[in-house]
Amino acid sequence: MPVQRIHAYLVHPKKGDEDSSQPHGTDVPLSGQMFDLMYAIYSKSENDCDIDITFRSTPDGKQQNDCRDLLLAYLAAPSLTAGQTIAERLGQTTDLRSALGLLFLIVGKEGRDHKIVISRFPTDSAIYVEEKPRALTVQFLERVFMKNKHSYKAVLYRDASLRADFWNGRAIDKQINTPTSPTSDYWISDFLLSEFTVTSAQGTSRFAKALRAAVHSDIPVEVKEEITAAAKLSSGLAGQRMSINQIAARFNLSQPAQAAVIKGLKKPALANETFSFDADEFKSIVAFKSVELDNGATLTAESDRFDEVFHKEQIKDQTEYVTRGRVVNEKLKTKA
Amino acid sequence: MKNSRPKPETLEALYRQRYEAVLKPLALALADHIADRFKGQPRIDRISTRAKDVSSFLNKAKKIDGRRQKYSEPLHQIQDQVGARIITFFRSDVDELDKIVGKYFRAIESKDHVPDSEWEFGYFGRHYILVIPSDVIDDDWDMATVPKFFELQIKTLFQHAWSEAEHDVGYKEGKNPLNLDQKRRLAFTSAQAWGADRVFEELFQELITPVSTSS
Repeated sequence: MPVQRIHAYLVHPKKGDEDSSQPHGTDVPLSGQMFDLMYAIYSKSENDCDIDITFRSTPDGKQQNDCRDLLLAYLAAPSLTAGQTIAERLGQTTDLRSALGLLFLIVGKEGRDHKIVISRFPTDSAIYVEEKPRALTVQFLERVFMKNKHSYKAVLYRDASLRADFWNGRAIDKQINTPTSPTSDYWISDFLLSEFTVTSAQGTSRFAKALRAAVHSDIPVEVKEEITAAAKLSSGLAGQRMSINQIAARFNLSQPAQAAVIKGLKKPALANETFSFDADEFKSIVAFKSVELDNGATLTAESDRFDEVFHKEQIKDQTEYVTRGRVVNEKLKTKA
Repeated sequence: MKNSRPKPETLEALYRQRYEAVLKPLALALADHIADRFKGQPRIDRISTRAKDVSSFLNKAKKIDGRRQKYSEPLHQIQDQVGARIITFFRSDVDELDKIVGKYFRAIESKDHVPDSEWEFGYFGRHYILVIPSDVIDDDWDMATVPKFFELQIKTLFQHAWSEAEHDVGYKEGKNPLNLDQKRRLAFTSAQAWGADRVFEELFQELITPVSTSS
């Protein structure tokens, strides 16, 4: 059986609180209904956890991360006490506006790989109903922990070396696009001391270049228009954290349009990677750069290809631009 | 923690297989990727990448730190199995390129290599350990053999020239250590390279006024 240890801790939010009490924890037996639930979370984590994250280095650039250190210490010798340090860290990074959480550490071995799934169930209240042949009893329940709430969070780490690996993981955080929520950043940024593996500029530039390649590809005009419309709407995504597939779904792109965009990527799997949309980066790639000279000439080209298309030379206080190509279109445009 | 270091002959076979099947094509793909990211940046002399060759890897894997072997899991711990280098003209260019690295790559380490004391001269250069972008990873590769990181170095022409020459004449394991006079002469060449970098930077700041283009 791949799962070797499971520990559970009740974690009170304590950020900014001076309460120094430690979270209570328990071993979870490796059989029974509780185990079945944990095992399902562990097994499905490879698909469920879909946000690639990487531990941050120290502010002065050293290859060290406090949260990773706790994780590695726990994985080297999983014990209730070692896991408690992780639970304490979660408590200290969760502020009082968040509810109580139930933290699970599920440790396993998959071939040569060590694997850990860290899962936080948020608390809720519920009504328990029992139906008997002639009666119905209802009971109000507090401290019910639910996986399917929108604030459920988890992270998966799987690697071979406890000395050198475990820098990259995959997370679930359904609150990442609620920037107004006080809790929106605490899981990945504060608790895990991590960032998205794909930087904002890297992800946005991939997307912008894929859109551009799609527009220049041999596809029907109506599909091109659809993609052009999506490009115009994309500037409204500033700061949103999503994958290219999620953006395509948000704009209701048709199947042919989605296929054309994905074809513009180096490989289709890149469309699943989450990044924070950088509007300036997007504009710098999708936009056109235009230079006007005092002799009446206006030169226009896609902004990131401008210097490639026009060879520039400085001659005293004047600039000479040279370009060569086959004329494919000619337009007359009225002055605005 | 159990030491999972493979036997030397196994380590060589494992690394050789990885070198041929993954590291060499990965280095080529990374060169294109980096060139694309830094396209349009002025005064880049060259961008190069390399897969660490088998003998260099094995030599590094044998390194001793104090009385113990430095790497107990060399296949995981040696992070420059793929290396990249950007050589630029002036010291201020290094800072400009640093901004692009931060923008497009995820670093787990970034460091300015300078001698320990202000009275010493030796190796200078900016080094990063960066996550290998998934763009350059072929989905058909065995992921267990794909390194997670690569090393990027950004150096000026003078820093690069000094480190290349020093690499050939400096101390090599198993050979006689350099005597004091040889060390001093090497430090002298480093000081000259440092001085040349400084003067060129000053001249660049004084003489070259960027031409502004309205867009």
